[in-house]
Amino acid sequence: MNIQEYISSGIIESYVLGLALPEERAEFEKMCALYPELVEARTNFELSVEKQALEDSVAPPVGSKEKIWSAIQQSATRNPSKIIPMEPRKSRSSGLRWFAAASIILFLLTAYLAYSFYNKNRQLQAKIDRNDSLLNAMTTGDKIMHDPNVMVVNMVGLKGSSSSANVYWDSTSTDVYMVVKNMPKLPSDKQYQLWALIGSKPVDLGLFDPPQSNIILKMKNAQKADAFAITIENRGNTGGPDLGQLQSMGKTKL
Amino acid sequence: MSTNTKYSEQELVSQLLKQNDQAFSYLYDNYSPALFGVINQIISNKEVAADVLQDVFVNIWKKIHLYDDTKGRLFTWMLNIARNAAIDKLRSRPYQDSLKNQPLTENVNTITANSVVNPQQNDIGLKKQVAKLKEEYRVLIDLSYFQGFTHEEISKILNLPLGTVKTRIRSALTQLRTML
Repeated sequence: MNIQEYISSGIIESYVLGLALPEERAEFEKMCALYPELVEARTNFELSVEKQALEDSVAPPVGSKEKIWSAIQQSATRNPSKIIPMEPRKSRSSGLRWFAAASIILFLLTAYLAYSFYNKNRQLQAKIDRNDSLLNAMTTGDKIMHDPNVMVVNMVGLKGSSSSANVYWDSTSTDVYMVVKNMPKLPSDKQYQLWALIGSKPVDLGLFDPPQSNIILKMKNAQKADAFAITIENRGNTGGPDLGQLQSMGKTKL
Repeated sequence: MSTNTKYSEQELVSQLLKQNDQAFSYLYDNYSPALFGVINQIISNKEVAADVLQDVFVNIWKKIHLYDDTKGRLFTWMLNIARNAAIDKLRSRPYQDSLKNQPLTENVNTITANSVVNPQQNDIGLKKQVAKLKEEYRVLIDLSYFQGFTHEEISKILNLPLGTVKTRIRSALTQLRTML
């Protein structure tokens, strides 16, 4: 059979109108790949069917366009692999979107508040801890100052030094406390040191930095003391006192 | 949702593949009356035909990636989707049952000898062309194209050998072609 006979056999019409059997369709598609004139004849018939169909047009009912579009969108949302076209006036998906956005914002806000409350709480706790220790120190100080067994030694500045402090010495428990009234700041490699003088022999009662507030400092115990002295020493001094740097002194006996 | 742009079939296919709403709008505006006409020639009830039209557009939208332009024009592809959907509906149980409850005069699509043998006065378009064919051809086109019967089924209905059904359908179609 030559190609012209094939073209006029009715196969084109069967194929285009969907009446050809599967094996006829397969054969026709193979022939189309080989014979451009067959494709041309097919296209011509397709165009005449199309023209006839356009002439046979019947207007679909009013509103079907919108109905169909929403059906398409619903079928698109059911199939997640498809790209879902965005349509601004579709309230269903945009409602969900808003809900999701609101949830995220709410979550972030909650997380932020929780974090800032946590921080604030930590700050308050630290403040309370500081105040507690200050209060403890002040209570201790108050107790010592009013204890009848405690002797108060007023340390006065020497050689024009303005340094002054009170030393509290409990002669029964041998505890020594000190409240700094005025101690000038020192270079960072220097510290003050408190001494007990027994006769003329100095005994180390501890190194200290000028405190921030006039809280009570617990010093080393002293069994005996004729006088107390404060010197300026190198930081961490382990040797004897540098009496040239004697700042203030107070006697236990008047 | 309306467009003024004029797409070629190729452009329309590539727009449809991007699944944008402009493409749907264009497709609907340009092709829905023709496709609705095709459906109407098979399903005369407008409401049912509108349901079919919806299925057709959803299918076109979902299956556009399967369209192969080497096998034919886009319209041909859509036409066949529409015809197949209409025939599926025609042969569905609920539709057949609904026809039984209607007055006989509207009963144009049942497989009664009447509807096959007597051309309907209100036939339009392609159906009108088919009505002009000689009787033995017209019956074959009606049963195969408009009612979707297979060659085997037609061979049984008309009590004709399968080969005869096949050659007559081919002849009927070539004649029909000269009328379009």
